[in-house]
Amino acid sequence: MADKNPDKGYVAILGWSLNAIDAIDRFDRRYVIVAPPWAEEYAKANDIPFIAWDFDRLNERSHQIAQILKDEGCDVAIPLYEETVEWAGAINSVLLGNPRLLGQSMLFRDKSLMKRRAQLAGIRVGIFEEADNHADVIRFLKRVNQTLLKLDGDVNDPIHFKAFDKAGCLGHRTIRTVEDVDSISSDEFPALLESHLDGWEFAVEAWIKNGKIQFLNISEYVTLGYSVFVPATPELESWRTKIEAEINKLIEAFEIDSGFIHPEYFVTSDGTMYFGEVAYRPPGFNALELIERAYGFNGYQGIVLAFDPKTTQEELDAFFPTPVKDAKGYAGCFGAYPRRRVVEHMQIPEETEKHPYFEFHELSQPMEQKVTKRTAFGTHWGLVYFFGDDPHRLRDLLKAQEELDFYV
Amino acid sequence: MTGAEHGGEPERLAAILEGALSRLEQARPFAKARYQTQVLDVAGRLLACPDGIDRLHALAPRIDAAGIFVGSDWDAPANLLPGLVSGTLEWGTPTAVAAEAISLLRLLAVAEGQAQHPTIHAAAARRFLTQVLALNLRRFFGATDEATRATAGRQGTIEALLRYLVDHVGFQDVTGELVTEIWRILRQRPIQVAHVKDMISQIAITLRDRGSDIGDKRLGADRLVSALFGPTIACMDDPGLGPYCERLAAMDENDLRHEAQGLARAMHDTGLVSDYHAAFLLWVLDTDHDGLAPEALGLGNTGRDCWRCHRGLAIELIRRAVRPETAQALYGLSLLLDRGILHHPPIVPALRRQLALVPCPPVAERLSAAALHAVPPADLLLAGCIMVLGQPLGVGQGANPTCQSARAIAMWALNDPDYLLHLVAQAARLDTVSMHFEGRAIDSADLPAGLAAGAPLDADPVSVVLVHHLDRIYAEMGRLCADRSGDPHIWINPEFHGWWVGRACAVAVDVPTGALAGIEDFVGRFHAAYHPAFNGGEPVTHPQPAGIAATDAGGRFVGWHAITILRVAPDQDDEMRVYFYNPNNDSGQDWGQGVVVSTHGSGERPGEASLPFELFTSRLYLFHEDRLRPDTANRPPADVLARTADLARHSWSAGRDEIGGDAITRLASVEST
Repeated sequence: MADKNPDKGYVAILGWSLNAIDAIDRFDRRYVIVAPPWAEEYAKANDIPFIAWDFDRLNERSHQIAQILKDEGCDVAIPLYEETVEWAGAINSVLLGNPRLLGQSMLFRDKSLMKRRAQLAGIRVGIFEEADNHADVIRFLKRVNQTLLKLDGDVNDPIHFKAFDKAGCLGHRTIRTVEDVDSISSDEFPALLESHLDGWEFAVEAWIKNGKIQFLNISEYVTLGYSVFVPATPELESWRTKIEAEINKLIEAFEIDSGFIHPEYFVTSDGTMYFGEVAYRPPGFNALELIERAYGFNGYQGIVLAFDPKTTQEELDAFFPTPVKDAKGYAGCFGAYPRRRVVEHMQIPEETEKHPYFEFHELSQPMEQKVTKRTAFGTHWGLVYFFGDDPHRLRDLLKAQEELDFYV
Repeated sequence: MTGAEHGGEPERLAAILEGALSRLEQARPFAKARYQTQVLDVAGRLLACPDGIDRLHALAPRIDAAGIFVGSDWDAPANLLPGLVSGTLEWGTPTAVAAEAISLLRLLAVAEGQAQHPTIHAAAARRFLTQVLALNLRRFFGATDEATRATAGRQGTIEALLRYLVDHVGFQDVTGELVTEIWRILRQRPIQVAHVKDMISQIAITLRDRGSDIGDKRLGADRLVSALFGPTIACMDDPGLGPYCERLAAMDENDLRHEAQGLARAMHDTGLVSDYHAAFLLWVLDTDHDGLAPEALGLGNTGRDCWRCHRGLAIELIRRAVRPETAQALYGLSLLLDRGILHHPPIVPALRRQLALVPCPPVAERLSAAALHAVPPADLLLAGCIMVLGQPLGVGQGANPTCQSARAIAMWALNDPDYLLHLVAQAARLDTVSMHFEGRAIDSADLPAGLAAGAPLDADPVSVVLVHHLDRIYAEMGRLCADRSGDPHIWINPEFHGWWVGRACAVAVDVPTGALAGIEDFVGRFHAAYHPAFNGGEPVTHPQPAGIAATDAGGRFVGWHAITILRVAPDQDDEMRVYFYNPNNDSGQDWGQGVVVSTHGSGERPGEASLPFELFTSRLYLFHEDRLRPDTANRPPADVLARTADLARHSWSAGRDEIGGDAITRLASVEST
């Protein structure tokens, strides 16, 4: 463990992530990992401060873990996963003496409630509806396309289907036809249905302290579920002021005092910004790593800073760089997925390997030769990392990867 | 790739590697795995670039220290097997190839003194590289054409890497050291010689292609090659077994006698048996020339006597166990006959039982797997029994953490051969072994696995059949005395090995605390028990198990290790030495502080290791004695005790607490609970 500063906060990390633990262990805050009992032995063997807790169900025992952490002397709880967000809300309502935090966390956990809350606060959202079953999905698909004056037989505009309480791309499907609806299994309901917006999709990572944005990163998606890079192109970055205003609306609407949020937006061609969803936890798809590669600071350590009630403004100012200006270059990654039905081995395409922006990959050799059909976004087989100084070249390069075979 | 187009590629990759490497360095031990693949990916690509190998050579120690090998076998370089390297390079995933390359290059850095490694020293690293290179000689002689080298791809990279290593280690050195190394290993007369044969085959090819480059080691190399491929005039040109037998058919009795003597001489010279030798012996039996068999076996007086008394049995053993695939059994049989153990009443019937024995299916399966299905399991096991009984000290543990089991097999083969055959028969028939611990029956089939996960496959056939049973029983005996205070070997050793193990036991370590305890008294007691000048000139009658605190060449503690004390005697320079058996595969080791274990030239018999008495004592932490002599009658002077104790204090017990007073002594009787 790095030297810990006793004058700073003591944070409880909810969830098990070696990346996060590694980063936090190297940081100056005291910490304890709260995670399921299966991790306990490993934690003990590696001297990782640990409290075993089963997060499966929020129940009457949630007060118990809050009390344990309070007795332990923890100042705040930080959720790592979607599943631990409401636990963090429940615990922090005790640790920070603010009962509203639990209700707030529930908003983050329910995609439909979240959208309504945003809508009530005057944030623009697309057309959406809850679905409890397959019939709801078909009705929504038809209605959206009727609105668009499509005739029977025209190609439908797609709709998006997102399982209520799954993180990010997991459980996110694009639906174009009734057959697509059939492939949804019943356990994915209830779900949120959204109309499709043609436009620029991007995500934001925002570190917040005292209701103020401390650092805001814009992650530009090249293709949702495949590729992303940071910082964004100058074209998208030109919206930064407007984006910050949108984030401030979210901070107000969700009464966020401190922490880290990860919302997604669309900008349509006419410049209208639509709110997609927001998560109160670190993003998937290794966005924090890309940010570290581009800016040099560790996102997890930043999250600890943002959550810790004992963090000072001076610390924050020293920790976070100036967006875009301080970036050493553009970092992107591509999630590779086999394009063939049967594959033998992983092989980096020569044009990728020889490209000056290519850094390294984390693709593994296939365990099975037969490739199952990709059902949702985000189920890639591993990431390929790029870094360079021209954002447009990087964007085109990431796009080009989609046409290459990483598994042959 | 063309140089001009990718001139900046190595630069660029080196920069990326630097980033990935520093992330790996920063990562906590538990998070290393996350960053290993990145480093290996970039390193693998850098390897294929011009100058890439040079750059990785410079970085390798840092990459190693950063934790690239955490969680993999490469993390313990002293345990790596040279024979596995080419397979990984050739067939491994790109990540494994990169890891192997980095491992070789960090060993090169250690061998050349540019870096240090906590668990392997320069000489061992160099020896490892030499063996790897020796096993792959053809790869850098095969491609004489520089153009083929430039055809890149994996083969090009591997060849470039091996050539890089040989340029640094030195070609003459590789073959020269290899020859010396092979002779050094062969003098210990191991049973397992497959890897030695592989290396000699490589040398044979080298001699043919580049004979003149090898220098003054040529003679020793020639002898090795001829012993395997052409030990006599009739097979000097390596004609193949068919033509050879045709030549034999054309010889007269006198020529055949010369042939028999030549074959036997080559065998006893090297410990290696040529396929021609096996073919010759079978041929003489098939053609009514069996009068030549004792000659072909190279028997001495005792052996000839045994042959005369038990000719029928010996011939049956040859017909079943000796064939080109198991040629080494011929050497085992020769030594078995010369040991005279056929005169020991139970041995002949026990061998007859072995001849008739059919291993049960799971045992047969393991034997077949170990022999690559080349020999019927029953015959392989018979050959294994012959080899172990002929060369008890040739038993090795392979790459398995089972020194106690290997030691026990060797001890029984030496001292209690009929008991060993009894265990083999039990294990082969029933796939279980029963023993007793303080009156309590233990059956290995009922026990969970011990130190070895499964049966070893890289060991001799007897070990293949027995070791995992012995290992389980040993572990069970450990469990049965887990609640006793003191080193469990106090009770296990006599129960496990046999009645002859001394029932009193001295231990220099306080087990609960790990502290060094009563070391000077311990040294004195060992002198009084084993040193002829202090014990009334009494020789060691039976092999005694003992515990060694193994140290590396820097004198740093490596681990506890099981050995057998065989005898204590003065060498030709009148220096009193302990001769002992070490179940690891190569006893010649440098234990630091000038404690260099000798295997040849100080009066050792084949398979024995030796050290001067005091130096041996400095690494000893546990021994057995029978306490039949008056205690403390005769002890070495205080300066000997202090000197020896200091060697222990400054090597394996550095950093341990020390408790004064008498050494811990216990009698191996059941403790009252």
